[in-house]
Amino acid sequence: MISLRADEPEKSVIQIMTFSQEPDWDEPWNASRVRGSTGSGFVIEGNRIMTNAHVVSWAKQIQVRRFQDSRPHLAEIAYVGHDCDLAILTVEDPTFFEGLNPLPIGVLPKVRSVVNTIGYPAGGEQISFTSGVVSRIELINYVQPGNRSLLAVQTDAAINPGNSGGPVLQDDQVVGVAFQGTPGLENTGFFIPPPIIQHFLKDVEDGVYNGFPQAGIGLSPLINPAYRQFLKLESPSDGARVDTLRSESAKAFLKEDDVLLEINGYQVAADATILYEGNQVHGAIAFSQAQHGQEVPVKIWREGQLLEIALPVEVNAQDRLEGNQYEPPKYFVYAGLVFTPLSRDYLTTFGQNWSAVAGIGLLYELFYKRNAEPEEVRSEPIMLSTVLSHPVNANMDIKGRVLVESINGIRIDSLEDVVRALEDHEGSHHVIEFGERLGFDCLDRNEAEKANDAILQTYGIQKDRML
Amino acid sequence: MKQTIWSISVWGWLILMSGIKPALMADDVIDRWSSSLIKIEVTRHQYEFFQPWSRRTASNVKFGVVTQGEQIITAAEDLFDQTTIRVQKGGRGEWFQASLEWIDYHLNLALLKVQDPAFWDGLQPVEFADPVPATGEARLLRWNDGRLENRKLDINRLRVGRSPLSFIDLPQLELDSEIEGIGRSEAIVVGDQLIGLAVAQARNKCAAIPSFLIHEVLTRLEQNQPSEVGFFNFYWKKSENPAAQDYLKLTGPRRGVIITEIIAIAGHQNVLKAKDILLSVDGFDIDIMGDYDDPTYGKLTLERLATRGRWAGDQVAMTLWREGALLEVAFELPRANYQSEYVPTANYDMPPAYLMAGGLLFQPLTEPFLRSWGRDWERRAPVRLVRLKGQAPSEENPSCVVLSAVLPDPYNLGYQDYRYLVVHQVNGRRIVDLPGLKEALELPVEGFHLIEFLPGEAVTKLVLDAQRLKDATQRVMFKYRLPTDYVVGESGTP
Repeated sequence: MISLRADEPEKSVIQIMTFSQEPDWDEPWNASRVRGSTGSGFVIEGNRIMTNAHVVSWAKQIQVRRFQDSRPHLAEIAYVGHDCDLAILTVEDPTFFEGLNPLPIGVLPKVRSVVNTIGYPAGGEQISFTSGVVSRIELINYVQPGNRSLLAVQTDAAINPGNSGGPVLQDDQVVGVAFQGTPGLENTGFFIPPPIIQHFLKDVEDGVYNGFPQAGIGLSPLINPAYRQFLKLESPSDGARVDTLRSESAKAFLKEDDVLLEINGYQVAADATILYEGNQVHGAIAFSQAQHGQEVPVKIWREGQLLEIALPVEVNAQDRLEGNQYEPPKYFVYAGLVFTPLSRDYLTTFGQNWSAVAGIGLLYELFYKRNAEPEEVRSEPIMLSTVLSHPVNANMDIKGRVLVESINGIRIDSLEDVVRALEDHEGSHHVIEFGERLGFDCLDRNEAEKANDAILQTYGIQKDRML
Repeated sequence: MKQTIWSISVWGWLILMSGIKPALMADDVIDRWSSSLIKIEVTRHQYEFFQPWSRRTASNVKFGVVTQGEQIITAAEDLFDQTTIRVQKGGRGEWFQASLEWIDYHLNLALLKVQDPAFWDGLQPVEFADPVPATGEARLLRWNDGRLENRKLDINRLRVGRSPLSFIDLPQLELDSEIEGIGRSEAIVVGDQLIGLAVAQARNKCAAIPSFLIHEVLTRLEQNQPSEVGFFNFYWKKSENPAAQDYLKLTGPRRGVIITEIIAIAGHQNVLKAKDILLSVDGFDIDIMGDYDDPTYGKLTLERLATRGRWAGDQVAMTLWREGALLEVAFELPRANYQSEYVPTANYDMPPAYLMAGGLLFQPLTEPFLRSWGRDWERRAPVRLVRLKGQAPSEENPSCVVLSAVLPDPYNLGYQDYRYLVVHQVNGRRIVDLPGLKEALELPVEGFHLIEFLPGEAVTKLVLDAQRLKDATQRVMFKYRLPTDYVVGESGTP
């Protein structure tokens, strides 16, 4: 454990000003207006600043300021982990860190213990201090990725916009990074605890950030006595059931109805929880302690026998489109038809009520099909997002916001398939088949090819594709 | 002066062409229609699909008109699941018991009978307008606190729209009105002829079942001819895009619509293919918008041709363009039948089916069940269930059963939060309906019941102790006041 102590920790707390520009997921060659926002961060070992990933997402320029020093310094992202909402910044000017002590990373605080937050929240210019107790510790959904749950600590210390990325301290050691609240709930803020911070720091040691791995299984409580008896379990209360196998490594090493008795030394209760540092939390946490590609020792009960297995765990990249993405959107424009992957980000362009507007077909394709029909799932479902009006496409019935099933007889599993299906086709017409009982539509191939350049020019699109 | 004379002559010409007699004065209207417009009070069950054993009753007032043969014709809406029907003439006074003589939910029509001869004293049957006027002024008539409310409506057009209780499209008269609360089968009249029965209202527009359809159905019933309605079980798209017709090698002028999907129906011989161009139906040319020129009502969408003097089982001649050549086919109209759907649109006149076993509540997946999520059910109900509404049935997979809830009991400990899971297999047997589930639960595997759900559900399997199931079911029935553990309709509403 690090034994450093900072005498005046506020000196090591940094104000971060980000100027960002988010892409337009509907017309992906466009971007939003440049937006300014502020957050917090703190100095860690190695002349680096730790903050939240969401403080610096889509940044075009990052400025950092020291405590009671109005001079801005330019910073850059060294590593970003969107799944754990953490980032590390470096500063161009090496003198920036002079006289600043790195804050030591502590351990998971105890429930009911007092913690202090330091940061630059909205409502004023100066540094702000708040205090509260640790209310509870459990697995929660991280808003930054949108589809990942990791360990987090709830506190009643005020955590407001601008606090994000700032340290949460106990005995002058960092026991968390302030990161999110819950709309509608009062006195409820959350911070990222040391096990997640340390995992992130360890991950980037090799110069590449991989992320938090998963076991690739659906774990179900095993409480009903009849089910336990059916599985010939001797213990009346331990072990949770493997309900579904999602990753390839899980399929290779586990079977449905295996009973998970122990993960990485943690005993698994019948409700699929483990006792972690005095907190009853979901067993998935035990898997996420490992690094990508490592093996996690598990004890399982299979068909009346106790087995010990080293289960490889991996970062799940398959559900990237279901969460918030932080890479510029891919697209391909052909004869005014704009193709882009179906993703959560794309659906949010339908408005605040996007899940209601999107319709059952798109929601199922994006969020449900992977588990329901794994053999039918598309790695990258493609939308015809819009049709840029031109005489060549003016008579088409379909004007956008539809899922593409196939083009010229080629099933579309990715944007690359769209490019191939259109550019390699030699027939007189392009035939595009859509989902949701919308049938098909056609384009005259010669006319379409002739119109491409004019359409790109008319609509100010520099490149016809971003793959 | 010249202008006035011209107006009168045009009005007279319109009257002659439409076959409608001159409008009666207000008092005449009241005298005439007081003896034909009937107030109907219906008491019916209102089922709660989340607790299918519980039932409440509700009463509604609606209207109907007297027809030949001492019967009352009205819309079928509000008559499903009925327990009592009472009728009143003159808008006040004595109520008489009535009974349902005939009902067709797809057509949205019902005939009522009243045994007491005293009821029929002074009543006279209505005259149906056929054809109905597609423009001009009409009157809406309904009983309101003992007086005949007589309000003006403007006829917009005859169109084809979704029948309120079905998945089929039927002709509807569209009218404009500033009046609120229309849609209780009020009489829509022009002079002394009925032109329709009001069925729905959206803002200032209301729809009515046109009298020619009512008249046609009544005539067939009188002549003991089948009156089951047929429909076109295919989807089509407009042919506005010349490139699509070029791709399909259609020669000559642009015409017809493109078939995109055919819905399979058990026992129905399909003669169409996706990417056929439908050029004509029953002798009428179809344009690129999917309309035909109706000799009486002008442009109407082709769905009208499934009901224009045609009934389920009739052959309808179609001309197709398939793979570069003309093709004549005879399309047999399938019968509109809720039971032919994977998730039935309705299941009227029977309590919700369910099977409760050890606290686990199983129900067939139906649209009434999905409608339990409220008016916005297509957005609020679970995505995986709503999506099944669009699934085509097959011989092996005609319908499905859902674990809709678990009534907590020590027997089902650990399963209390399981709900809205589609059942795949029970004890190794594929489950498509409740009788099949009941049979499967009689065949446990080595002392256990193994219940498996479709892949992708929140949980895919649960296990129950077979020996203790009967006792647990009895205990749950007592604790939650279920009158029975198994309710299943004999055949379901067609």
